[in-house]
Amino acid sequence: MESLQSRRNTIRGAVVIGLLFSLEAFAQGEIKVGGLFDLTGITSDVGKPYAQGVRDGVQWVNENGGINGKRIRLVDVDYGYKIPEAVAAYKRMTGDEKVIMINGWGTGDTEALKEFVNKDKIPYVSASFSGHLTDPAKTPYNFFVAPSYSDELRAWLSWVKSDWKDKSRAPKVAFFYGDNAYGKAPIEAGRRFCKENGIDLVDEEIVPGAFQDATSQLLNMKKREADYAYINVTTTGVSIILKDAKKLGLSTKFGSNPYGFSEALPGVAKDAAEGVTGVMPHVPFGEKVPGMKRLTDFHLKNHPNDTHDALYVRGWSYVLVWSEALKRADKDKALNGEGVKKALEGLHNFDLGGLTSNVTYTPTDHRPSTKTPIYMIQSGKLVKVAEYDMPRKPEWLGL
Amino acid sequence: MRTGEFRTTYAADMAIFETPLARWSLGVFLVLLFLLPLMATNYWMDVVNRICIAVIGAVGLNILTGFTGQVSMGNAAFLAVGAYSTSLMANRWDLPWMVTVPIAGLVTALVGMVFGTPSLRLKGLYLAMATLAAHFIVEFTVVHWESVTGGVNGTSVPAARIFAFALDSDTRLFYLIASIAVALVFFAKNLFRTKVGKAFIAIRDQDISAEVMGVNVYKHKLLSFGVSSFYVGVAGSLLAYQARIISPENFPLSVAIDYLGMIIIGGLGSILGSILGAIFITLLPELLRLLTGALSGALPGLVQLFASLRIGVFGLAIVLFLIFEPDGLAARWHTIKNYWKLYPFSY
Repeated sequence: MESLQSRRNTIRGAVVIGLLFSLEAFAQGEIKVGGLFDLTGITSDVGKPYAQGVRDGVQWVNENGGINGKRIRLVDVDYGYKIPEAVAAYKRMTGDEKVIMINGWGTGDTEALKEFVNKDKIPYVSASFSGHLTDPAKTPYNFFVAPSYSDELRAWLSWVKSDWKDKSRAPKVAFFYGDNAYGKAPIEAGRRFCKENGIDLVDEEIVPGAFQDATSQLLNMKKREADYAYINVTTTGVSIILKDAKKLGLSTKFGSNPYGFSEALPGVAKDAAEGVTGVMPHVPFGEKVPGMKRLTDFHLKNHPNDTHDALYVRGWSYVLVWSEALKRADKDKALNGEGVKKALEGLHNFDLGGLTSNVTYTPTDHRPSTKTPIYMIQSGKLVKVAEYDMPRKPEWLGL
Repeated sequence: MRTGEFRTTYAADMAIFETPLARWSLGVFLVLLFLLPLMATNYWMDVVNRICIAVIGAVGLNILTGFTGQVSMGNAAFLAVGAYSTSLMANRWDLPWMVTVPIAGLVTALVGMVFGTPSLRLKGLYLAMATLAAHFIVEFTVVHWESVTGGVNGTSVPAARIFAFALDSDTRLFYLIASIAVALVFFAKNLFRTKVGKAFIAIRDQDISAEVMGVNVYKHKLLSFGVSSFYVGVAGSLLAYQARIISPENFPLSVAIDYLGMIIIGGLGSILGSILGAIFITLLPELLRLLTGALSGALPGLVQLFASLRIGVFGLAIVLFLIFEPDGLAARWHTIKNYWKLYPFSY
């Protein structure tokens, strides 16, 4: 009996010493954060500037005090926008690298991984704003930093209503979306919003993940006489659609989702982009807002000859949000998945200096914000034309 | 055959292990294989599991293409059939892997035989095109039959479990996957010592002579499609348990081409070749990834080139093998083995 007691004491002692050692290692060590990026896949046109934004943001945080003195180490992977690759990368990050949280990318892979991150308690801050990720009852560990795709589409449809002057009939709207989870994410929300708000949804055209030509879809849409069309693919796809539409001489007014609309669009689509609207949850690079200074300073110091866009700003704002949560979790001595989740859910009206709307997460609502600015391309420049704040309707949570 | 080696019985001629040493070294290899999880990290267990799954699929494809001479481009599709039937059985009816794995194999065998029917009339390139149709038909079905497959979003598969013990990590799952792989490899090895296996080979070598000799060519072609698809179906089923999330992106046409690459590089008509080829093709991207990762400090642009690099090296490997070692890694292995057998007096 006595020997058992002493053995227990020995074990206890060993555990305490082990804990001390691990705390020691932790205090001096670095914080590993996973980064899942698309640098080579079908969304790499927007994936690359976003990834650079995240990397630069991490470097900036590390150079400015880190996480209460600890450095962040970004364990990043290019997964080529392939769900199987994302799953393999996730296993590597959580199994071998033991990352504390992940900065993710696409809708398909984020929604596919949602059960994994829930089981493993890994906060997963995705670049996908899919509305399906906003209900903590279903996806407690998923976060993003923007209004949801659904709220953005609702905001754009609200703009359509205000832009439509002919009161004799309802505006006719068409949706263009990619044949993947990202493309389809806000479509159901858009359909319902059209029905409830007297907008005539006349056509839905599905384009492949990667495509070179959209003429047949545009001709279909022309037959349905759509006045407005919302494009839910990335910048390259949007510019193909816009150029084809110009070739066909369509008078439809096009609008774009946040991954098809940035400074890069007028650069690629040239004059076909004139008058096109888009939702822009993150401001263009160099916009006169207080939060922009650290970005432009960093840019001038490290790579003054590069050009940047709103996607780059988006990457930065992600890092600013989750690094704040890491700091708070660290202060609470809870630098683990659950602690970071709790810290994120404690962010209330967190101010990013205007890079994006203030961010609020609660344990029952992961919609970071509901304010969506609408920008228009006027003589090659992005000009803000409106901003819509969608109500936090409970029935919209998770849609 | 070595000098001084005499075989006096048919049994000796048919033996799998030519010498007791071969038998023992295989035994040691298997013991080491099953001790692997004690040493390897999670990441490498993931790779090893994918290799074992690829071995099953490659052996399956080799039975059809290497041994029976029927080209198939439908491998990715058959994998998908195995994976999605597993997900259906495990999600809807909560069936354990002991039921889902064999049934997924049987379902895939049936599908494979249906798509194998054109082999009655078609050979070579024409059959390849006909099986390519299988790929597109299955892909279309998977993408659009959303209630069962989850469409482009994919569907998750519950972890396989042995009673209450969930095989939810690659280390745990390894024992299941590796055991099935070993069993199926032995079955395939023995298959070609039987009448049916010999009939497959006869059809490959000359189908008209085979028919003259009394082999029912069509029956055996279909049987070969069935056996081969069973293997691929089992591989698909295990893939579902390993990946836990399956979507149409798991089964692009490039997977079918990868599998053809495995048996070409490994060696057509060789079980050992299927294994070596599966290891080679599965490890190739992982080693390239490590290499580009290690070099990313010196050459930052390399990581962006990774995807194209993978495809380029894959193509180059196939071309080089076709020119310098058309019989694949298995033939190279035999050359090396024979060299050392007679060392230092090789001739």
